[in-house]
Amino acid sequence: MSPAAPLHADPGLQPERTVLSWGRTMMLFALVGAVFLRWLPHYGFWTVGLALSCAVVAGAIYATQRRRYTRQSRGIAAEQVEADVPAVLTTTVATVVLGLLGILAVLS
Amino acid sequence: MSEDPLRADPQRGRLSSRLLAHGQEPDPRFTLANERTFLAWIRTALAFLAGGVAVEAFAAEVFADPYRTVVSVLTISVGLLISVGAGMRWLNVERSMRLGHPLPMPLIIPVLSFASGVAMAVVIALVVLD
Repeated sequence: MSPAAPLHADPGLQPERTVLSWGRTMMLFALVGAVFLRWLPHYGFWTVGLALSCAVVAGAIYATQRRRYTRQSRGIAAEQVEADVPAVLTTTVATVVLGLLGILAVLS
Repeated sequence: MSEDPLRADPQRGRLSSRLLAHGQEPDPRFTLANERTFLAWIRTALAFLAGGVAVEAFAAEVFADPYRTVVSVLTISVGLLISVGAGMRWLNVERSMRLGHPLPMPLIIPVLSFASGVAMAVVIALVVLD
């Protein structure tokens, strides 16, 4: 049985590196969620909500990794990749909202 | 050269057609590199966020109450600034690449350097004075 044909022939492995970069970001979201759980003794309500939000963001990144790799590999092969505006905007907004909620919790 | 993005590529999503309306698709390697740079900045922002949360959660014995809150809020604010800067920079770089303009100066780098320096000075001051 022959191995599956590669989706792209880019020697710089651009899709792999980008997907791994998303993976690292996903882990950091999970880490931030875990650190938020340390607030449990002080602010119960906020903590659970914040940790859950982090888990949702991390889960969303995880769920889209495969599609992202396929899309970017095909794009590299076709010499055209559409900039992923929705993913970038969502990640930025998620980080900003988490920070704002964290500041609110500290000041409350 | 066609300037109409919708006619040039009907496959493009609404958001990218609106936010990245002008110019031509750049080299896909550059687009992906820009995405990775954005992600590296977001991780930096998340590290500041986690740091601020950790100061509030772990450092009760190290810092007295008002100082701890101030340090925590400042650290999280730096994370906020960096994440906003990361998103804006990603968009500006993507636009410049589409138009063939030189890349914009990274404004968040001085912000990050300044914030890290201030944060360390504050921590040293609080630990020494305590």
